[in-house]
Amino acid sequence: MRTSVKKLAAAVGASVAVMAAGQVAAEIKIGIAGPMTGPVAQYGDMQFSGARMAIEQINANGGVDGEMLEAVEVDDVCDPKQAVTVANRLVNEGVQYVVGHLCSSSTQPASDIYEDEGVLMITPASTSPDITERGYELVFRTIGLDSMQGPVAGQHIASLNPERVAIVHDKQQYGEGIATAVRDTLQAAGVEIAMFEGITAGDKDFSSLITKMKQADVDYVYYGGYHPELGLILRQARQADLDAVFMGPEGVGNKDINTIAGDAAEGLLVTLPPSFDQKEENQALVQAFNDKGEDPSGPFVLTSYTAVQLIADGIAQAGSDDPMEVAAALRANSFNTPIGTVQYDDKGDMRSFEFVVYEWHSDGSKTPVN
Amino acid sequence: MQDLLYFLQQLINGLTIGSAYALIAIGYTMVYGIIGMINFAHGEIYMIGAYTALITITGLASLGVAWLPLILIVALICAVLVSSSMGWAVERVAYRPVRGRHRLIPLISAIGMSIFLQNYVHLAQGSRNIGFPALIQGGFQFGDPDSFQTSISYMQITIFITTLICMTALSLFISRSRIGRACRAVSQDLGMANLLGIDTNRIISATFIIGASLAAVAGLLLGMYYGSVDPLFGFIAGLKAFTAAVLGGIGSIPGAMLGGLILGVSESMTSGYLSGEYKDVVSFGLLILILLFKPTGLLGKPEVEKI
Repeated sequence: MRTSVKKLAAAVGASVAVMAAGQVAAEIKIGIAGPMTGPVAQYGDMQFSGARMAIEQINANGGVDGEMLEAVEVDDVCDPKQAVTVANRLVNEGVQYVVGHLCSSSTQPASDIYEDEGVLMITPASTSPDITERGYELVFRTIGLDSMQGPVAGQHIASLNPERVAIVHDKQQYGEGIATAVRDTLQAAGVEIAMFEGITAGDKDFSSLITKMKQADVDYVYYGGYHPELGLILRQARQADLDAVFMGPEGVGNKDINTIAGDAAEGLLVTLPPSFDQKEENQALVQAFNDKGEDPSGPFVLTSYTAVQLIADGIAQAGSDDPMEVAAALRANSFNTPIGTVQYDDKGDMRSFEFVVYEWHSDGSKTPVN
Repeated sequence: MQDLLYFLQQLINGLTIGSAYALIAIGYTMVYGIIGMINFAHGEIYMIGAYTALITITGLASLGVAWLPLILIVALICAVLVSSSMGWAVERVAYRPVRGRHRLIPLISAIGMSIFLQNYVHLAQGSRNIGFPALIQGGFQFGDPDSFQTSISYMQITIFITTLICMTALSLFISRSRIGRACRAVSQDLGMANLLGIDTNRIISATFIIGASLAAVAGLLLGMYYGSVDPLFGFIAGLKAFTAAVLGGIGSIPGAMLGGLILGVSESMTSGYLSGEYKDVVSFGLLILILLFKPTGLLGKPEVEKI
């Protein structure tokens, strides 16, 4: 009895595999992995909207060498455990190219699986340097690194002649990484760091932390992390009359911070990728987003668009849909994309990527500072 | 002087959070006192209270109601009504059918209920953080305006006073009213109370309703104090309040109050004098220490083995 069950299972498995293989031949599956739900789902929305647009446009222009792209969307909730689960699911579905993940702490464990299984991954949002530090061949990104963003933020704060700076982070890979880069830059510039402290992501009460900042009499606060916590810190700091300028990375720069912090978000400084949607050559693309009723101004919309485009261009350049050959083609060539000319180094990082300091306003708009 | 003001400020911060923990902890401790189970869905009841209050406040604002006391009272009433009917329904659906079985079964049922409610709010309200409008602003300041000032905001005062009123009302209710007397009888011996003609099902329902109402009050207060709600709002708060209940002696109402205050103050002192990173380490470490040396909690009565 037992052996017949095994045989049956094997037969089912084989037929599923055959069916999956049949699908791969017909079209190229692109996995899009990011948070659809959870506290940072708004960044996921940017990612999905950018990637979907690229897939639509490429398919409308006849696909890649006649083969259509098909999106396989999965939700990792920005949770490392979920990220591993959905990465395995994508691999099982025969996906060979992934645009994602979003949070560095999700991208890191998921990239281990992709590298082992021969899946090419381009993250449009993860800025932790560790992700490309491991010598992986199939890991790329269309965004800069904390080690580029941190110094921009640090130098900006240093240029404002601060007296005492507090640096707070959420103890996650992204937040702590960027906070450390800011601290190192500030220390190199001879600025006094009054405190360097972690909070727990998901915390709601920051009254003790703010009291401590008041006691230390800080005039600048850098926060490494995401907007749900910084929104509350801003709001509770305003309530407690803490008079300091706050600054954060692109993880805090979206309109949801205004619904949490309200007026207290006015004057927040944010380092963001430059507004690609303002560039002259992207106006046709921006119009396409507007026609769909979507907003292309988020920091990860066009980076996700670019990630899909790079996969398509890479396949066309390599003349093969083998991820290893596509990876080689991505490293060997330079590509014209909505985020500028993309050239990769051996690690899979872009050779240059610019971050710009913006001032955030209480109506959710932003203006460049320098 | 500076140091004293700083200490006072951290004490105020801690007592504020602590009194809200105490309000939530009552729900855990009363349910445990009466039917000996941990209601793990209680944190979610608190979260639903916060959401209901927020929805009511937004709704009233869109209707053009601007008089603050009216907004707060209507929000409070709605939150209490929704949460307490939710607390009652949870007991009817998930706990009553399995009451009297092995201890693990109601526990698992409670965890399932907690997951269900959390995901229900995820679906109904979305997973994003929603900001609470800042209704109560301003406060008193003490100390030299040029250096560190201790401040106590009107919001913090509101939390203290509301907690005080709720706790006094609860104590009077438990000690003076008929239902309160029946509650005490049921918590001493459920079977005997039943034999003496007390409708124990009704008393158990009442317990869930009281606990859920206090959680709803805490939901409104903390939602306004923190400034935002999300579907996971109840998880950490529930865990902390449960710790407070165990710390004070689970089953004891004054214990829950004391436990909440101790937990709140120890958290704020740890973040104030050590680092916020050790906040949870210290509060849960404290729990382990107290359980090691006084397993029934600070005010818990030692359990007498009944023969």
